[in-house]
Amino acid sequence: MELTDADLLARVIVDGDQHAFGELVRRHQSPVRGLLRQLVRADVELADDLAQETFIRAYRNIRSFRGEAKFSTWLYRIAYNVFRENARKRKELVGIDENQLQAEVDPQTTDPGLRHDLMNALANLPLHERTAVTLCCQNGLSHDEAARLLDIPLGTVKTNVLRGREKLKKMLAAWAT
Amino acid sequence: MNDPLDNLLDARLRDETPYIDDAGFTARVMKQLPHRRASWSTQRAFIIFAATILSVVIAYFASGQGMFVHDAFARVSGLRPLQLLLLIFACGTGMTIAGLWAALARTRDTTL
Repeated sequence: MELTDADLLARVIVDGDQHAFGELVRRHQSPVRGLLRQLVRADVELADDLAQETFIRAYRNIRSFRGEAKFSTWLYRIAYNVFRENARKRKELVGIDENQLQAEVDPQTTDPGLRHDLMNALANLPLHERTAVTLCCQNGLSHDEAARLLDIPLGTVKTNVLRGREKLKKMLAAWAT
Repeated sequence: MNDPLDNLLDARLRDETPYIDDAGFTARVMKQLPHRRASWSTQRAFIIFAATILSVVIAYFASGQGMFVHDAFARVSGLRPLQLLLLIFACGTGMTIAGLWAALARTRDTTL
């Protein structure tokens, strides 16, 4: 019988069972790495480095997990914080206006020939919209969960998701024709 | 009203999140975890066992090599049936309370 996340967490917290933590890593590595790849715009090496840091930080702080949210949501929050710290270190343009972000985009991704690539389209969204769409539409978080994870108002999350989706729909509509 | 484009976008967003193979990722994470210390429950068991042995040895020599056991049996055998029953009831209740307390404390430890 497969152990639930709660069972594994209990073993890690009470017995310091690293094998149990390894199983948790195996279960959650794909969505965490996927989220980080979206945030860092498909820089796979950087995303994996950040993902490793995420799980190490989760292990060190495992006793602070209270079980009020899902374990995966807690991991996403750590991953997002790790991403933001790394972005500040790399002087990434976090939260900056759209024009400046667009200026940073690799010209190749705006090649009309690649318009049908949804992932490139997602990468072209401003960070706050990209994050909201990734969390809510790909990782399955509710708006409320995303708002708590990102530590922003619920209304802001809804707006970011709406705007991000509208831009993606425009691109899809163009591909569909 | 369901916008077909909304449905298409939702479907594409879900499809565009393929499973990422582990490919050694978990192993790399595990290598970087801090070294595992002996679990607290193991240390606790060892401490309790050692303390028990030490206490027994001290009690044995301090009590004139176990004469207190003879004395205790002598006193218990001198009790009236009701007194003996009350003594057994008190011991049983005490053990039950201690066991419940330990179980509840353990439950608090493991509740997330």
